Amino acid sequence: MRLRPRIFKKSPVYVALIAGALVMIFPFIWMISSSLKPNLYVIEYPPQLIPSNPSLENFLEAWNANNFQQYFRNSAFVAITSTLLSVTISAMAAYAFARFKFPGQETTFYVLLGVLMVPNIIVIVPQFFLMKFLGLRNSLWGLVLIYTATSLSLNTFLLRGFFEQLPHELEEAVLIDGGSYLTIFANVILPLSTPALATVSIFSFMGFWDEFVMALTFIDDPAKRTLPIAIALFQGQHGTQWGLVFAASLIALIPIFIFFFGLQKYFVGGLTTGAFKG
Amino acid sequence: MKSKKWLPLFVFMTIVAMLVGACAPAAVATPAPTTPAQVQKETVIVPQEVEKVVTATPPPSGPVTLTFWHGYNADTETPFLEKTVIPAFEAAHPNIKVQDVNIPYDQFHQKLLTAIAGGTAPDLARLDIIWTPEFGDMGALAPLDEVMSDFATYKDAVFPGPLSTNFIGGHYYGLPLDTNTRVLVYNKDVFSAAGIENPPATVDDFLADCAKIKALGANHWCFGDGGTYAWAVDPWIWSFGGAMTSPDYTTSTGYLNGAQTVAAYQFLKDGVDKGYIHPGIKGGGVDTWGLLGKGQIAMILEGPWFPPSFKSQFPDVKYGMALMPAGQGGSISVVGGEDIAMFQQSKNKEAAAEFIRFMLSLDTQLQMATVGQMPVLTETTSSENLAKLPDYFGIFLEQLKNAQARTPVSNWTRVEQILTDAGTAILNGKGTPQANLDDAVSKIDPLLPKPAQ
Repeated sequence: MRLRPRIFKKSPVYVALIAGALVMIFPFIWMISSSLKPNLYVIEYPPQLIPSNPSLENFLEAWNANNFQQYFRNSAFVAITSTLLSVTISAMAAYAFARFKFPGQETTFYVLLGVLMVPNIIVIVPQFFLMKFLGLRNSLWGLVLIYTATSLSLNTFLLRGFFEQLPHELEEAVLIDGGSYLTIFANVILPLSTPALATVSIFSFMGFWDEFVMALTFIDDPAKRTLPIAIALFQGQHGTQWGLVFAASLIALIPIFIFFFGLQKYFVGGLTTGAFKG
Repeated sequence: MKSKKWLPLFVFMTIVAMLVGACAPAAVATPAPTTPAQVQKETVIVPQEVEKVVTATPPPSGPVTLTFWHGYNADTETPFLEKTVIPAFEAAHPNIKVQDVNIPYDQFHQKLLTAIAGGTAPDLARLDIIWTPEFGDMGALAPLDEVMSDFATYKDAVFPGPLSTNFIGGHYYGLPLDTNTRVLVYNKDVFSAAGIENPPATVDDFLADCAKIKALGANHWCFGDGGTYAWAVDPWIWSFGGAMTSPDYTTSTGYLNGAQTVAAYQFLKDGVDKGYIHPGIKGGGVDTWGLLGKGQIAMILEGPWFPPSFKSQFPDVKYGMALMPAGQGGSISVVGGEDIAMFQQSKNKEAAAEFIRFMLSLDTQLQMATVGQMPVLTETTSSENLAKLPDYFGIFLEQLKNAQARTPVSNWTRVEQILTDAGTAILNGKGTPQANLDDAVSKIDPLLPKPAQ
């Protein structure tokens, strides 16, 4: 019978948590319910959460709309390639910043951090000229380059914080046994850093998958567009079929779900790491 | 630490970056004065090219690909353009391919500015009529009256209201492609519940009907609109006999703060105060379609996209359409729609002109009407052609005979912001209509073009 008072004591916390969870999940439920309503041109108020005659028509229409599947493949290519490149390069850079002493180390790192302070929209016109100069406009590789480059500073910063708190002793042991720094990096640092790498991968992937402004600015060729643009196109100038927009957004969420749940067990551990160091 | 001496520099750079960042949105939203100069530089050699192309009339010998940017909607209009209209054009012009690019409307203006600055503008674009003066003024568009030898034929064939948005600085920088206007839409059930038989023909009728509708209850409104932007207030200003600017667009003094315009704003203010007009017009916005469907708002102003879309959402609601209620100035509504324009950067001006001719042909115009695009050719109002158009186009074509375009000036975006802010202040009771409009006039006048000497 000791259980009851404990539950009683904790119940305000649970009530608050459940209320918070409901607030967080409400827009999502609303999105699902709207995506099941055909011909929804008006955002209803108050929202009707259970559709009167639900149908999957919107999902089929969105999926089969102009080039949607092509855009999906483009997005997948750009997001996966950029994530791999960005995480690999920033892990190497972060290792160097965390472990080696070299001239100008702190300065370089501060400059790297300074990049974080510059909002992307300021540099979009210079970037546009650069891409034009390099002949990478209208190219998915151009997007990969830009995405990777713009994400490096944050990822390096996060990973350096994590690498610095790994014990030096392990690495010294490898050196004594005749291993190289590359061995340390590949066989010690990376395996020990899965939580941090998972966190950085998830954030990067989500950022690349959702990115809209640069993709819209640098790509004119309809065949090279990515998913966020396809979704924005469902919003008309005068009337928007919201069911279609929400259905398309839900389809776009699937890869993020897969990615997130696949890496979730590492992710939660990774979140706290930045809290202590960095 | 060695790094200490870098710290001040780092902090300084960060602050500069953040300050620049804070200023950026304004610079992005309204084109900075430097942009036009830059554009001019990009396009300065083109006039010669134009002449070359004009004298060399034979069509392009080799295959040419035109790029055409547009904001047609993705569910019906774009598929129709890509599967029916463009293939027909390409069949008739074997040497020309058209690559169309659908761009989300909200980002279209911004993307065009970037592309023009970067020298990567398309050959052709379908521009919202309120953008044409701006792009024409900055030198980004080709003057069609010089590029197309038969321009006069097209100029005379289209409605004058939409055409007026293309004329700036002595040249025509585009041709209307599709048009629309707003008419009064009313909920028939609400009208019969309030004992009203016919839609209001005049502003006085409108006010009398409002009193009857308000008697239905506190959560019934006679009229609703989304704000005080020009698209919403212009029909009232003009129908009251007022105006935004002088006919040559060089001054707003005595027009925007003239007696009739003040009366129009006073009418809106009284409407809000009496509860006739939904408070959403004060700046908060309102779901006019939803409330019209539920019978809480009795009347709204809407365009030709309304009937098909509204029917699919509220299939059982009975509504009627009527002309804008007439005031001292008559029944005058606002013209919307799009122009088709050619860019100076285009290297295929002759082929691009061919596509413009095709888009403005009677056949294409009537075809695009099947997906809700209202034609711009005056001959479409002949009874024979009218029969080929959707029934509901009739009232809109009727209203178009008395409809004006929003002030076609290159600084329109900024002018409209001042207008919107003044209207919001008036409806929220911050100062009298006269005081607010006097203030707006003093801010708008410097943004208008200088009178020609």
